[in-house]
Amino acid sequence: MRIVVAMRQLADLVEELEVDDSGTDIDREFVKFVANEFDESALEEALLIKEGVGADQVEVVAVALDEPDVDQTLYTALAKGADKAVKLAGVPEGWVSSHTRASAIAKWLESQQWDLVITGVQAADDLDGQVAGLLGRMLGVPHVAVVVSAVPEGNVVKVSQELGGGTVAEEEVAMPAVLGVQAARQSPRYAPITRIRQAMQAGGLSEETVEVSGDGGRPTVRRLYAPEKSGQAEMLTGSAADVADKIIELIRAKGLVKS
Amino acid sequence: MTLDPTLALVETRKVFAGEGTVAQAVFYGLSVLTIATFFTGIVLRVRKYGRGRPAREGRWMRPSHREDVPEVTTKPSFAKGFWTVATNRTISRDQPSVGMAHLLVFWGFLGLFAATTILSLDYDILGNVSPLLVGHTVSFFHGPFYLAYNAVFNLAGVIAILGTAHLMGRRASHKEPRLDYTRAFKPEEGYSRKRFMQGDWLFLWLLMALFVTGFLIQGLRIDEAHFPGFERWTWMGYLTGLGWNAVGVGPHLAAHVHPWLWWFHILMALAFVAYVPFSKANHMIASPANLVVNDPANTRRLPSPPSGHPGYTSLADFTPKELLGLDACTKCGRCHYVCPARTAGAPLSPRDLILDLRQWVNRQEHIPVVLDQEERPAATGPLAANGSTAVAGDVIAPLTLWSCTTCMACVEVCPVGIEHVPSIIQMRRKLVDEGTMDATLQSALQNIAQQGNSMGKSARMRARWTKGLDFTIPDARKEPVEYLWFVGDFASFDDRLQGLSRTLAGILHHAGISFGLLYEDERNSGNDVRRVGEEGLFEMLVEHNLAALAKADFQTIITTDPHTYNTLRNEYPSYGLDKPVRHYSEVLTDLVLSGRLPIKPLGGHVTYHDPCYLGRYNRVLDAPRALIEGLGCELVEMPRNRTGSFCCGAGGGRIWMDDSFLEERPSENRMKEAVALGVDTFVVACPKDFAMFSDAVKTTGNEGKMTVVDIVQLVDRALDRDRLPSLQAAQAAPEPTA
Repeated sequence: MRIVVAMRQLADLVEELEVDDSGTDIDREFVKFVANEFDESALEEALLIKEGVGADQVEVVAVALDEPDVDQTLYTALAKGADKAVKLAGVPEGWVSSHTRASAIAKWLESQQWDLVITGVQAADDLDGQVAGLLGRMLGVPHVAVVVSAVPEGNVVKVSQELGGGTVAEEEVAMPAVLGVQAARQSPRYAPITRIRQAMQAGGLSEETVEVSGDGGRPTVRRLYAPEKSGQAEMLTGSAADVADKIIELIRAKGLVKS
Repeated sequence: MTLDPTLALVETRKVFAGEGTVAQAVFYGLSVLTIATFFTGIVLRVRKYGRGRPAREGRWMRPSHREDVPEVTTKPSFAKGFWTVATNRTISRDQPSVGMAHLLVFWGFLGLFAATTILSLDYDILGNVSPLLVGHTVSFFHGPFYLAYNAVFNLAGVIAILGTAHLMGRRASHKEPRLDYTRAFKPEEGYSRKRFMQGDWLFLWLLMALFVTGFLIQGLRIDEAHFPGFERWTWMGYLTGLGWNAVGVGPHLAAHVHPWLWWFHILMALAFVAYVPFSKANHMIASPANLVVNDPANTRRLPSPPSGHPGYTSLADFTPKELLGLDACTKCGRCHYVCPARTAGAPLSPRDLILDLRQWVNRQEHIPVVLDQEERPAATGPLAANGSTAVAGDVIAPLTLWSCTTCMACVEVCPVGIEHVPSIIQMRRKLVDEGTMDATLQSALQNIAQQGNSMGKSARMRARWTKGLDFTIPDARKEPVEYLWFVGDFASFDDRLQGLSRTLAGILHHAGISFGLLYEDERNSGNDVRRVGEEGLFEMLVEHNLAALAKADFQTIITTDPHTYNTLRNEYPSYGLDKPVRHYSEVLTDLVLSGRLPIKPLGGHVTYHDPCYLGRYNRVLDAPRALIEGLGCELVEMPRNRTGSFCCGAGGGRIWMDDSFLEERPSENRMKEAVALGVDTFVVACPKDFAMFSDAVKTTGNEGKMTVVDIVQLVDRALDRDRLPSLQAAQAAPEPTA
């Protein structure tokens, strides 16, 4: 069984992001890039499947487009237990749309043998969670989103999918399939730096080039801007008793309590 | 064998006076068996040490030395080790009466051992060799030598009895918390340490019985010989003989009792010798040996993981020194008593850790032990049937290992030189490799790996705290400065502590000190990362910080955090740092005492908390005290002060872990100690202490009664701003005033 985990880089949100001169993208020059946390959950779920089925029967391949600091992410994946890591070159610099991203990965997957593609259900710049769905369509296989557990059984995967209102659906999907993972069965494991460094020294990262077709006809970004201020919070000041009085007053004024 | 009758009037006694040839043959037969058993035990132990991982550079026992920790430790030497052993100084350091009693037993026992050896040399060696060489039996066991021998070794016997009696009384009379064998980690299925106590009492009673019967026999012999005048030199034996007489045992009866008692004494003495390497008595060999090879620099500068392993997994990973240390433990319980984790109700007791490891190792090596073992209804943890159990996780539970604050109180207090902390870190390294850790710790480590600080803030925000200053701190990477201030994560990023950093910056600035920062190039120094057991991340941080320091032009490093101070001062030099490192409290002390900072005395009573990594680790004890007094405050010491200071609970990475399982946080325990003094100001010299104790004041309900003050705030309050050099620069140089 071969599982491909599609991973990606994102600007580290602890940095102060700024819009660049073009007005359609963030300024990428001094920003640090880190792995998308949903992709880390996807990798964790893949590793859990590998451990559950048997290490010698499952191959986990981490794949990512060549984006800033991606080597760190891929070596970390190797350190955690992925068997192989592939970096896809040939992607244009700057922001990559979900369509471009999905088509690049789908193109590479054409040359691969695989049973399951697992990726993060969303990313900070893909809150709609398009990548997994697009991959499913492009590859012509079923797709399940918001997955919180995936356990293969024969030719199917038993999947737990989180629905609205705290409901969880248990489903079966035939392989090959694409899963968009919301959370793995356990939080992503820690990769000791020594192991990451060993992976770097071993140099198990292979680089392949993919041809990426443009986004022709798809929506383009017209303007990127920081949220505009609409209204302001009122800070209550004074002693604890004064603040409590004001809160009670406000609650009454809003009609949230009777009398 | 008969002695020359002409010698009968000379002061001596017959060896084997009452025993026939058969008895002597039996005695020698048993002696050979005893000595064989003794040496078998020693060989088993030494072979066990050989199963360990030799220290580097071909040294078997002593850890490899790069250099000493300057002004803190000195290179261990055999001479110093022997001096420590001879004076028992580490035993009397914290408990003088116990130390004195042990010293009496120690020298008394050695004296009696010497007495037996001398007699054997004379009788067995010289007595058998001399006829072959000179044709007749030569002996020196007579005349003045005999008299002095008896006088001196009677004294040895008496002090041994007095010491042993004291130690027995201590155990019997009241329960000292140090001698309470209750485990800190409670195995689910239960346990019994009854045999520990039985082993202790067996040891004490064997010693006591040996000493006492020795005198009883001597008394009988003198009684039997009708109290020859010269035997008054055998003063205690003589008195005992008079005692026999007084209870009605005259010379005739004495001759009958003597052989029985002699056999009793001899059989017990032989049994004791055979018992030594298999019991608590083994400490007579292992503890002095451990004190001689002990290396005080080892905890301050942690050893690397075993090559090819991320951490300890099996017996083969332990160094011979660590394995010897396990045998050296006497269960004195001092580490158990001072440990902040144990005090707080955590499952770690350094004593239990050592005893568990010892039992685990001895079981693997099939070393039989007389009593002195823990029993459990099921073979779990250290009692598991084979050596396949993981040492980090099974033998010692993960939470036990994670409970350590690395405060080093155990290493400091251990009278036999056991180094608990490095072993704990080696086992933690294994847990880190497996990813067995708190989620909060994991995210702290990931933050440090990604952003260089545990808070997960952007590295570029590191110097944002300087925004509120009315001057700009030079960038040491761009202009030369005298002092490079390594600020540290907490003092840089924590809202509660940034104000303290600004205060220190202001004082240094106004004192006219040339200092600068690394700005966004500074990373977590890695002291606590290393102590968590994340060696790879530590090395990464060292590489980054050294590269950043290489860009800067400076003479001396100042640190805010004592933890940073420790690693920069003691560990970075092995990676290439060659600049002196000072703590800000030392710099402030210099500035105030030299008069460079003009002071208006504050008055008032304060107490001072020694940070573990400043006081115990690096012996910066007097500077903060001199500073506090230099500011005109009266210092009231807490009972646990200086090198005996009690940890706040934040060290060793504990600050990144969940502490909700503790019964009482160490910081709360400490706060109660301070409040009991009746002072209202708690002075600290560590950012982590400031945060921990500010919380503890609230959680112990002492708001209003106690204020936590950083030593820099104290200086700031006392500062006479009208006389500041920066404001008088235009005027003539002022006379420094202390």
